[in-house]
Amino acid sequence: MTAAVAPVAGRELSNPPSDGISNLRFSNHSDHLLVSSWDKTVRLYDASANVLRGEFMHGGAVLDCCFHDDSSGFSAGADNTVRRLVFNYGKEDILGRHDAPVRCVEYSYTIGQVITGSWDKTLKCWDPRGASGQEHTLVGTYSQPERVYSISLVGHRLVVATAGRHVNVYDLRNMSQPEQRRESSLKYQTRCVRCYPNGTGFALSSVEGRVAMEFFDLSEAGQSKKYAFKCHRKSEAGRDIVYPVNSIAFHPIYGTFATGGCDGYVNVWDGNNKKRLYQYSKYPTSIAALSFSRDGRLLAVASSYTFEEGDKPHEPDSIFVRSVNEVEVKPKPKVYPTPPA
Amino acid sequence: MEIQFKATRSVHFLCIRSAIIYLYLRLPELCKGHCLNMSSYPSRQIQQLETTCGSLLSELQKIWDEVGESEADRDKMLYDLEQECLEIYRRKVEEANQNRAQLRKVIADAKAEIAHICSALNEDLACARQSARSLKEEMEAIAHEVEQMQEKKIRRRNEIVEVLDQIQAVSKEIYSPEDESHYDVILDETDLSLKKLEELRKALSGLQKEKSDRLKLVLDHLKTLDTLCLVLGLDFKQKVAEVHPSLDESSGSKNLSCDTIERLAAAIQSLREIKIERMQKLQDLGTSMLELWTLMDTPMEEQQMFQRVTCNIAATEDEITEPNSLSSNFIKFAEDEVLRLEGLKSSKMKDLILKKQLELEELLRRAHMVCEADSAKEYSVEAIESGALDPVSLMEQIEHQIEEAKGDAFSRNDILEKVDKWLAACEEECWLEEYTMDDNRYNAGRGAHLALKRAEKARAIITKIPAMVEALTVKTTAWEKEKGKEFLYDGVRLLSMLNQYSVIRQEKERERQRQRDQKKLQEQLIVEQEALFGSKPSPTKNIKGAPKNVAGWAARRFSLGGIMLQTPMNEKVAVCSRPTRKIDLLNRKSPLNYNQDGHSPALSSGKRKENAGRPIRKHSTSNANAHRAEPSVIRKPFSPIPSATISSNANITNTLEDHEKNLMLQKTNISNGTPLAPSKLFPVKEVTETPRTMPNPIPLTPPTVSVPMQTATTMITPSVLYGATRVDDIPEHIELSFEERRAGFIPPKPHVRPVLQL
Repeated sequence: MTAAVAPVAGRELSNPPSDGISNLRFSNHSDHLLVSSWDKTVRLYDASANVLRGEFMHGGAVLDCCFHDDSSGFSAGADNTVRRLVFNYGKEDILGRHDAPVRCVEYSYTIGQVITGSWDKTLKCWDPRGASGQEHTLVGTYSQPERVYSISLVGHRLVVATAGRHVNVYDLRNMSQPEQRRESSLKYQTRCVRCYPNGTGFALSSVEGRVAMEFFDLSEAGQSKKYAFKCHRKSEAGRDIVYPVNSIAFHPIYGTFATGGCDGYVNVWDGNNKKRLYQYSKYPTSIAALSFSRDGRLLAVASSYTFEEGDKPHEPDSIFVRSVNEVEVKPKPKVYPTPPA
Repeated sequence: MEIQFKATRSVHFLCIRSAIIYLYLRLPELCKGHCLNMSSYPSRQIQQLETTCGSLLSELQKIWDEVGESEADRDKMLYDLEQECLEIYRRKVEEANQNRAQLRKVIADAKAEIAHICSALNEDLACARQSARSLKEEMEAIAHEVEQMQEKKIRRRNEIVEVLDQIQAVSKEIYSPEDESHYDVILDETDLSLKKLEELRKALSGLQKEKSDRLKLVLDHLKTLDTLCLVLGLDFKQKVAEVHPSLDESSGSKNLSCDTIERLAAAIQSLREIKIERMQKLQDLGTSMLELWTLMDTPMEEQQMFQRVTCNIAATEDEITEPNSLSSNFIKFAEDEVLRLEGLKSSKMKDLILKKQLELEELLRRAHMVCEADSAKEYSVEAIESGALDPVSLMEQIEHQIEEAKGDAFSRNDILEKVDKWLAACEEECWLEEYTMDDNRYNAGRGAHLALKRAEKARAIITKIPAMVEALTVKTTAWEKEKGKEFLYDGVRLLSMLNQYSVIRQEKERERQRQRDQKKLQEQLIVEQEALFGSKPSPTKNIKGAPKNVAGWAARRFSLGGIMLQTPMNEKVAVCSRPTRKIDLLNRKSPLNYNQDGHSPALSSGKRKENAGRPIRKHSTSNANAHRAEPSVIRKPFSPIPSATISSNANITNTLEDHEKNLMLQKTNISNGTPLAPSKLFPVKEVTETPRTMPNPIPLTPPTVSVPMQTATTMITPSVLYGATRVDDIPEHIELSFEERRAGFIPPKPHVRPVLQL
């Protein structure tokens, strides 16, 4: 852990949420940043300009949010509702409801649907173009073995991680049943799942300082590539202190990824070469969420207490946007111990 | 720009221009290396654009002047114009930026691809590109490189696939389909290195070597099989087809699987066993053939026909290579010959037995003993013909009888001589009596002087007869005492003969005495009568009957020859009484001979070896006979030559063969146990991955030191810090995420299994 720490944490955004940040995401079209929070708000920032562009107030805590296009997005609320937000007009409407708080939301550009996962043990697909009202927008409800904790999309694939360490892999073109049913290769509760940008697999993090790299290819050769590694731990007096890994974000260009843990550190990893590329200086509190901008030149870091130790006094919630140096995220090819024959 | 504006407006214009020029100047920078080629927009055009802008502005000025637009409107319009322009520029800049990011992504992807390929090929990355060049150049270069690398990868992959295919093909040929998976090598796309290729090639050449080894083995086996089939007179093709149909084809590939080789070996083994079995049979036949030949003095030319049988008599298994020399036909042929010879032998045996029988009879007759075997003769011939009696034992029996008879005859010789003399004397006595009674004996005639001489001799002999009889009686009594049996002379006891003779002689003596007395009386009477009457009567007519008596008895003795043999009563006694007595004797002497009445199976075999068991004769004639049979090492006529040497030879060869066989078995065991060490040929795939905990050997620039991931598994330590405080109203055993706990969410159906106790 002797990696040199960058001196600057990045630019801190003004007007941060007043309570825990549940998620943040960069737009695919601009450097706009959408942030959901336990303070019942969804905020839109212009990250490069450090300006708060808009704010939506909901009836309950917001557990997730995502962009639709540059001018609209979706939010998942603890009040069981899925909302559509139109930024230009500050307008919001309800896309539909779950039977329990909605934990996560994703928009699939390939099928043009919103996918939400909830603690009511279901996954629902919505068509945002339909007229308002659940009966018009709901495409399908797919029951899950447990409460949904995290979902991620790549191409036609959807990975759903739930309580009880279940992992279901769906093909969006045939949602009737999972393409693969798996058990997390980690022993502890799943915290976050994110697909590789190249669509070959997914990374999965757990509350016990560990990340598993998995592959969709079920052949022996494909499965032999999977592995898991430890991270976000601290050795103190011979005892490992283990922190949950809250967030994973893949670099859109290089395919490397950043992880954020409750230890307040952000690490950048090269999954192919099994190397840690970089560690940023410690943030004031747990890293709740991470997002790379569309060209990978900016990284948004939500430093916000994630309630891992219950209600307690903690550092203020803040969002840092740091520009990413290429060297921090560019993969380093393997160095061979012997020159090739 | 000579036109005069109002101060505010000119500010606007300046603003617009500067903005335009600024953006314009930035564009090339942004478009550097992008699709937009700024060189097509030379500065002249900018100049032109400027003047056009100026002229357009002045035109607008004129129009406004003409229209009389208010200053505020003019300012607003100019401001709008400025904004529009700016918007357009901004969009362009945005586009260019997007483009650049795209290009970078493409390059990064290409680099990742190259790195991936390089890692697969286990090659060093080509030296890092100078990033000073424009992105486009870089992209082109890298695209070219990717293409090259991909080509290289495909080439390498094809090479490996080709080798793999060959491996697959060869291993398919070598191994049976069941264990094919063992060598079902899959192509590992991530390892296409030369080393791997080399490994695979080595594996291939190993496999090919094994294949050629196996081919050689199979061909060897086939050759062995062929010679075996040839020797045994079997159909080679059929035999091979039984093992595997592919082996039959002279050309074309042969099945080389272990299974086939094992089956081939098994076929060879079984054929070899058959061969050994047949060989032993043939050798047995050959041995008996030779024995029979020597026994019967078979002529050479007859033997010549079976030279092939006998030439292999002492050969070991692998010396017999002549085609068909062990075929079943050939063995049948030899068997037939042996059977024929056996038949011949038994017929000759019969002749011989008859001859011996005659000899015995002659002997007995000469010794004046009663022939006891005459009935046995017919008996034995019948028995031989019906096969109930072994000619050999019968032969022995007869031989034994002859022997015995000879012994008896010898012991009797002494007495018999005396008996002869005695009888001759008796004859002379008889003759003398008759001669004495011939009144004309003194007539002078031819040979009268001879008769006189004979009479003289006879009188001399006769005087010796009493002594002779006396001596004979003593001798005979002694003999009888010695032998414990009566001395029979032609079936009559000699002593009784002597007694009878003595009695007759005494009678004769008395008669003579009486005659002499009578004669004396007569002479006295005649003398008295002559004294009275003067005449003499002849005395001869009165004594005529008595001497005839003696002579008749003698005549009966002399004519005994074959007459005695025809007396049925005697014969019967001999036949009936003897066996029972013998059995008694034997029973008393050797109670072990329990099976003398039954058929001894050991006896029926003509080729029985001496050591196979002591022969027990059914018709053994006496105790002595049984005793003599005991030291049975002496070869009897027609008994087979003790084949001890041959059999011991055979034993030796057998054991040798057994030993060889054992060795062979061991060999096959060994070869089965360690099947050519394929592990050597196919080295376990070496782990080519770098160790995960390998420290980075070349330290990079300090801020970007890459640290290897800790992928090793460790147990979680109890000192987990998170979740130290609990929300009281949540059941502890339910797995909850931090968000759920914060939201106070309690799942409706409690999840029983705690994944992590928090």
